[in-house]
Amino acid sequence: MSTTTPTGTPAATADTRRGRPGRDTQRLNEIGLVGAIVVLFVVLSATAPGFLSVTNQLAILRDAATIGVVAWAMTLVIVAGEIDISIGPAVAFSSVLLAKATGEWHVPFALSVLLCLVVGLLLGAGAGFLRARWGIPSFVATLGLWSALRGLAQYMTDGLPVPLEANGFLDLLAGSILGIPTPAIVMAVLFAVFLFVANRTAYGRSVFAVGGNAEAARLAGIGVSRIRVILFATTGLLAAVSGLLLAARLGSGNGGASVGLEFDVIAAVVIGGTSLAGGKGSLLGTLLGVAFITVIGNGLVLLGVNAFFQDVVRGVIIVGAVLINVLLSNRNGARSS
Amino acid sequence: MSNTDVVAEVRAGTKRYPGVTALSDVDFAVRRGEVRALLGKNGAGKSTLIKVLSGAEHLDSGEALVRGKSLAGLGTRDVAALGVATVYQELSLVPEMTVAENLFLGAWPRSRAGLDRRRMRADAKEAMARIGVDIEVDRTVGSLGAAGQQLVEIARAVAQRPTLLILDEPTSSLAAAEVRQVIDVVRTVAEQGVAVIYVSHRMDEIRQVADTATVVRDGRIVETLPVRAASTHEIVAMMLGAAPEAVAARTRRPSAEPPVLSARGLVSDRLDGLDIDVRPGEILGIAGVLGSGRTETLRALVGLDRPAAGEIRLRGEAVRPGAFAAMLRAGLGMTPENRRREGIVPLMGVDENIVISDLGRVSRSGVLDRGAIRQAARALIDRLAIKTARPGTPIGTLSGGNQQKAVIARWLHAGSEVLLLDEPTRGVDVEAKRQIYGQMRRLADDGRAVVFVSSEMEELADVCDRIVVLRGGRAVAELSGDEIELTRVMALAIAED
Repeated sequence: MSTTTPTGTPAATADTRRGRPGRDTQRLNEIGLVGAIVVLFVVLSATAPGFLSVTNQLAILRDAATIGVVAWAMTLVIVAGEIDISIGPAVAFSSVLLAKATGEWHVPFALSVLLCLVVGLLLGAGAGFLRARWGIPSFVATLGLWSALRGLAQYMTDGLPVPLEANGFLDLLAGSILGIPTPAIVMAVLFAVFLFVANRTAYGRSVFAVGGNAEAARLAGIGVSRIRVILFATTGLLAAVSGLLLAARLGSGNGGASVGLEFDVIAAVVIGGTSLAGGKGSLLGTLLGVAFITVIGNGLVLLGVNAFFQDVVRGVIIVGAVLINVLLSNRNGARSS
Repeated sequence: MSNTDVVAEVRAGTKRYPGVTALSDVDFAVRRGEVRALLGKNGAGKSTLIKVLSGAEHLDSGEALVRGKSLAGLGTRDVAALGVATVYQELSLVPEMTVAENLFLGAWPRSRAGLDRRRMRADAKEAMARIGVDIEVDRTVGSLGAAGQQLVEIARAVAQRPTLLILDEPTSSLAAAEVRQVIDVVRTVAEQGVAVIYVSHRMDEIRQVADTATVVRDGRIVETLPVRAASTHEIVAMMLGAAPEAVAARTRRPSAEPPVLSARGLVSDRLDGLDIDVRPGEILGIAGVLGSGRTETLRALVGLDRPAAGEIRLRGEAVRPGAFAAMLRAGLGMTPENRRREGIVPLMGVDENIVISDLGRVSRSGVLDRGAIRQAARALIDRLAIKTARPGTPIGTLSGGNQQKAVIARWLHAGSEVLLLDEPTRGVDVEAKRQIYGQMRRLADDGRAVVFVSSEMEELADVCDRIVVLRGGRAVAELSGDEIELTRVMALAIAED
């Protein structure tokens, strides 16, 4: 993509000013993403009918929330050198749990919501515990969850959507507040929370330390196991929140929903410049990554690209974006050493 | 060429990096069969000289030659083909693979049916024989000790039949007894006509291994001299560029206070009924060869390992063994032996690497206070003279000595009263070493207890108020005050029961 090349000059000034290789690459990547998003906007508003309409822009925000709500927590997981691939099934399972609890099991609605959140949190914590206590790689622990939760959600519903009785709360979740889609507001609030947690709390900095060098963090007195459990509990909790938003939007619990969501979330985080090797990353980058992926998805639909072929295009663009990121950071690294 | 024996040569070599001249008009030559020690503080230009001779860097002006051929424009592979083999400080072996496989890593002998294992084993045995070492080639490298691994690394370099072998601190992770093996191997290789460049910070081993020494300072060669002709004192003076401080300044003040931390009868894999007392206001050295239980003693004291038997008392009260978090809270702090792997978080700033030991101290109602972090870090950066562009500079970009000072600063930030320092001067240049000694002294004078573990007995003898000598997981002797003499410590550590 030629869209990121004009960023050379501002990045160079950032380089000399801060003189901090990791941060500079991050800054460079963020500027590149902003450039790419601007170019996407210009191109799509010229080619895709209705792209700039208010309705479509609000739809983009709503779609962004599907990825964004979990992506903030995922950023910290990946910064810590871990991965959680159970997101899609966890979201679907949460929506099924809500529908089943309120309908078939006659659990009061508020309690059902709480149940979904607590179960999500505990499932995530369970995966985190497997990682922290027995050193099972998080990819494997969450792969287990990925398979089990999808299966459980489909098994509980026989693969059919379970209708949800509408109520004010669900309408609010599915609707808008002051014209802004509620999921987007939830996403924005959570973003602020995570930005604060990542940069201004002992927990957040400990996550970076664990990802940068877990043994050093442990010897410095950081409770590495505790942090790992909390990390996965957080993604579990936010996947459950995402499941509630999904259920409200669809008006049902759906065991087959959110297929491949984990892919989009991880892609957004990685495009945002967070290193899969851990220790390095930023929530601002993830925010831009979420925007980038969502805008591309929206544009492909508006342009009428074949639904199957959309995945091909997204796959190529995502790898291309990360490749550019890697090449930039290599060049930057070579220059500063 | 006047002397056909010259294998590698640099003539009027100059190499600049942005902001520094790493080599300035350097003339250097090494002959076949010669072991040349390369001495100098970190940043003096040793690494650059090595990189130039191995083709990893090129001179800005002047000439580098190997066997009479100019290295200009040649890459590391071309230079290796000319017969230069380099062994770097970090091992580059695959622990899960056998010695034989590692020796020919990536260039395994093949037959028509794939790998030719029989030839590989035979070649491996020959390679080990060539350096005069008896290591079973079918063992996995991971099952060898640090010394064994280092020898395999050297065997691999020698198997390429080099004319110039460059060894960059080959013994930095070895204990005295094991250094002997490496030295023997280097002598064997040199006798076969190979020129050897040997970088090390340890004077005693240089005396045993090298014929000549080149002292480098600020990118210039100060002098090249026969090792036997110079005293350590003179060489240190050349490295530092100024007369070292009078040794008489060293005073030993063993503390008479009751122990703050004590252990009785500790037993574990490596410990065999260890007794030790750590007193406030003094530097306690722990001496012993590798495997004597030095690191294990620290790990047991700080609660990282749970001994199978024994008792640990902190300020007179028995503590639960293995309670690491509680020991840290109670005022202990440990800096690990392997700084890179266990000490620093490389991408994080120096400031965060320091305050990480107690983030509560720089928080207000659970929120980190940037101002407080900066202030705390600045104070410690000044106090320990940590050289960093800014407090936020990633610690991974600092020199080893400055990284080490930051790791020590971590426990000053946490307000620890008992500091357990495991090899705090390993891979650290002379100047930083002296600063670290100074800090230890200052901490002891402040009434804290400093435990200093080192495999370099010279520095223990120089710095400590009291020394406990370990052998086979037991404290076999304790020397304090004027009883401390290098020869005595050494003799006690290597004595056989």
